[in-house]
Amino acid sequence: MLGQLAQTGAALAWAVAALAVIAAFVVLARAALARWRQGRQFRLRVRAEDALKHVYKARAAGERPTLESMAGSMQVSVNRAAQTVAGLQKADLLTLGEEGMRLTPSGERYALNVIRAHRLWEQHLAEKTGVAENEWHRRAERQEHLITPEQADSISAGLGHPTHDPHGDPIPGPRGDFPPMSDQLLSSLEPGRWARITHIEDEPEEIFAQIRAMGLAPGMQLRLLAKDPRRLRCWCDGEDHVLAPIVAANLTVQPLAEPAAAGEAARPLLLSHLEPGRRGRVVRLSPRCRGAERRRLMDLGILPGTVVRSELRSPTGGLTAYRVRDTLIALREEQAAQIQIEPLAEPAS
Amino acid sequence: MKPDPQSAPVACETCPSRPRGGLLRLGLRLSHWDYVVALAGNPNTGKSTVFNQLTGLRQHTGNWPGKTVMRAEGGFEFAGKRFKLVDLPGTYSLLATSPDEEVARNFLLFGRPDVTLAVVDATRLERNLNLVLQILEITPRVVLCLNLMDQAQRLGLQVDDRRLARDLGIPVVPVTARYREGLDALLQAVYDVATGAVVCRGYRVRHEDPELTRALEPLVARLQRAFPGLPNARWVALRLLDGDERIIEAVRTGEFSEPAPARNDAPSTPAPPVTATAT
Amino acid sequence: MSSRGQSQREEILACAQSLRWELGAQFHEKLVESIYADAARLAARAVTRPGATPRFDLDRAIDRLVTSRRWGIPLMVLLFALVFWITIVGANYPSQFLASLLVDRLYPWLREGAAALGLPAWLRGLGIDGVYLATAWVVSVMLPPMAIFFPLFTFLEDFGYLPRVAFNLDNLFRRAGAHGKQALTMMMGFGCNAAGVTATRIIDSPRERLIAMLTNNFSLCNGRWPTQILIASLFIGALAPPYLAGLVSAAVVVGVALLGVLLSLAASWFLSRTALRGEVSTFSLELPPYRPPRLGQIIYTSLIDRTAFVLWRALVFAAPAGAVIWLVANVRVADASLAEHLIHFLDPLGFWLGLNGVILLAYLIAIPANEIVIPTVLMLTVLTTRLTGVGGGAGVMFELDNPADTLAVLRAGGWTLLTGVNLMLFSLIHNPCSTTLYTIYKESGSWKWTGVAAALPLALGFAVCFVVAQAWRWLGAG
Repeated sequence: MLGQLAQTGAALAWAVAALAVIAAFVVLARAALARWRQGRQFRLRVRAEDALKHVYKARAAGERPTLESMAGSMQVSVNRAAQTVAGLQKADLLTLGEEGMRLTPSGERYALNVIRAHRLWEQHLAEKTGVAENEWHRRAERQEHLITPEQADSISAGLGHPTHDPHGDPIPGPRGDFPPMSDQLLSSLEPGRWARITHIEDEPEEIFAQIRAMGLAPGMQLRLLAKDPRRLRCWCDGEDHVLAPIVAANLTVQPLAEPAAAGEAARPLLLSHLEPGRRGRVVRLSPRCRGAERRRLMDLGILPGTVVRSELRSPTGGLTAYRVRDTLIALREEQAAQIQIEPLAEPAS
Repeated sequence: MKPDPQSAPVACETCPSRPRGGLLRLGLRLSHWDYVVALAGNPNTGKSTVFNQLTGLRQHTGNWPGKTVMRAEGGFEFAGKRFKLVDLPGTYSLLATSPDEEVARNFLLFGRPDVTLAVVDATRLERNLNLVLQILEITPRVVLCLNLMDQAQRLGLQVDDRRLARDLGIPVVPVTARYREGLDALLQAVYDVATGAVVCRGYRVRHEDPELTRALEPLVARLQRAFPGLPNARWVALRLLDGDERIIEAVRTGEFSEPAPARNDAPSTPAPPVTATAT
Repeated sequence: MSSRGQSQREEILACAQSLRWELGAQFHEKLVESIYADAARLAARAVTRPGATPRFDLDRAIDRLVTSRRWGIPLMVLLFALVFWITIVGANYPSQFLASLLVDRLYPWLREGAAALGLPAWLRGLGIDGVYLATAWVVSVMLPPMAIFFPLFTFLEDFGYLPRVAFNLDNLFRRAGAHGKQALTMMMGFGCNAAGVTATRIIDSPRERLIAMLTNNFSLCNGRWPTQILIASLFIGALAPPYLAGLVSAAVVVGVALLGVLLSLAASWFLSRTALRGEVSTFSLELPPYRPPRLGQIIYTSLIDRTAFVLWRALVFAAPAGAVIWLVANVRVADASLAEHLIHFLDPLGFWLGLNGVILLAYLIAIPANEIVIPTVLMLTVLTTRLTGVGGGAGVMFELDNPADTLAVLRAGGWTLLTGVNLMLFSLIHNPCSTTLYTIYKESGSWKWTGVAAALPLALGFAVCFVVAQAWRWLGAG
């Protein structure tokens, strides 16, 4: 009796399992088909939007976009590019006249929406996630085609309506408003001048990666020390850097009359290198420290001018407690390395 | 500004067993109230001790910075008036980078408490004043509770509460909440500000950046035109410039022009004000 | 509001937006700087610091000691060993007292009373053997340790020592992608996982808080200590010479608890590199000044806020579990109880895991509270083996005073050393109890993460038990 019952139960269980597998298969197959259809449409739209972006950027840089340059930047054949342009003309987003391709007002608006989505998403990745820097651009390249203008507005709201993306580029407003640019390329800066990095071009990727590896970021101040046709030498953030002109051409800077802070001229020490028991004055937080983490440090009172004393070290390492405005605050080594200080002498006791 | 010693009942502050002058703890019984008092402060300043001492409730937060607590409410009666005390989460700042800060900020701005009781740690005044100055940007009706005076004494610190009161333009009361020292003076100060017997002249942070000043002027002027009587136009302007979504929303919907939440018994004719001035 | 007001307001926003372009991205920082600059100036005017070098600074002296390279860690181990020792030893007596009161005295009295009132047998069984007994068991096992552990823990918290523990251990947790304060929520988890999950509120970085919540279950909570101690002494302590038995079984239980700590770190590491990779992290740890603890406040908080709170939630879940346990043992389908059918159904799975159907069923129906797993296992074993003379009948959970009798019952149920070892492992690594799951849901507000919190340890537990069982049999054969 008991054995029979168990057998029936097992058979029933098998039947249910088999049904579940069949059902799952049907559902998955239908989803795959729908995705393939959507995917085709999506690819066409991506191409159109990339083409608009290319024309916009070329015109903004004062260059003349051609089918060849478009094909090159989109990594498709010239034929494909021509097809795409034809489609855009039909949709009244682009005109092909005497002086080459130009965007119509609605085309320009469209391009700005895509750029807005791209830069907002990069800002989102930088501020709200732990995604590595070298992935921002690639992810945003994909996401820019998926974000609707309404979604872009809500992302913007969630980020406190940022004006610039993490590369220092201005983010177009919801009505396509865009500030004027007054900056120049590092390669055209005069030797001996001070400047602030306002933008790092994220394409081509190899050069971007090289610049990031040097530790350069928007917001940093630098001084161009020497320049010749083969290389540029500049001083930035306590270190000397040597750049090839092609690399320097990817850095946009805003020339400065003189270094903003006097401490800038001296070579700052990192807080993580402060010996226990010694004091230092914060010169600034590294621009590499961003978003929520930066604001947290500032709320804790770690600001330029703040005197910090290294007090306790964790017995297992990696963590040091600092006395900041009469409070003991423990920071991890990688956080303390974002804070530049100038060492102070001990007060005579 | 310290309450006038003649008018304030500052009898025996060091005898804890004495029934406190007119304080009646109401715990959670708050069917109706005359004034709403917000309790704000950094984490770890003894804020919940003050809350518990005033309301007779027992709310716990450990000796921990950053422990999220829900907004707690309690009540007390003093000199015949009923007060609702709202304990806000302890935060370092009000620039709304964490949910806690947003809760505290929104209550001060939109809940429009009659008085905000700012509890600060007398041994770490500089860090705590950062928050107080931000509160003062939102509302001048603040009483500063200079708590942990016993700790300050232990460390040999001398805190000049009169000078601080003059500088900040608000009543400042030294307190050791743990031993109930100074609570009477504190209650009197809260009462005075609530009834309008004392008018606060809250200190405003100086922004020395000329670019910022230039940006603020037109915006503040426009805000004052759109919302006459807005007490904190400059702060709202600063938040707009910082892209604060909640504030943008409030401007868009016109929330700022709405009258303050209804009270059952707001004083119609306040006593002749004693004016405190900021230097 | 008129439309004029509307346009006026829109104009303000447009004006603000255009000004923002001019101000640039450094604006927020300038703002914070000017506020702090004023705060510093005002504070300097109001505060006079002692002119001479400060006298002996007690806080600094304590900090030097408790975070010193040489003494910091040993001191911490000693302190927590003391806390656990006081808890385990101290809880013994009130536990026995409560058990004798609620189970040995009140329970028969209730049964007789119900019979005298003429209540039908099924109602008496369901209400008294099921619901009452389960809740009584949970109260007598759970209440005393919590009532001792939580005040001690709160004492250290109020004093300000706990942030120093986080400070000392942060590096371990940093490498696992977690927050140093997780050391404390883990410690709290040794008392009760549900309380440990609530305690994760002290972690203000969302990513690290979630990690702490999801891995808290690997802390051996006090509902599982008795199981570990019982099985360790029956199956492993018995292997050692009698004079070493106590020591060996204690070492084994501590070993299991340490394995839990290791697993908790490993799971944190795994989560921070997979599911939680993209989440943002903001570390900060303030070391507050030491404050003399307030005893009244401590006792009130730990008893009302923590103990009573957790106990109440446990009871809410344990009462229906008692009813289910009784029903499973008493509802008969064909010629056997539902429990027997389920046990036979689960037996093959149990075999592969080195356990048996009884244990799996006990974990299934005693999910609300780990405290009642062993009584349920004993009851079910007696039920399936049809032993006579032990226990109180179908659906009545029991424990035996004499370990030898317990061992006899278990051996009759076909238990081997492997069963014992794997039960200890499974008791450490399985889904959190329903009280904890509910708390995780409350705290995280997400079914998804609650699901992960249940599935992750369960899958790991199955995997570990399976591997151990297969290796054991292979070695045994070879």
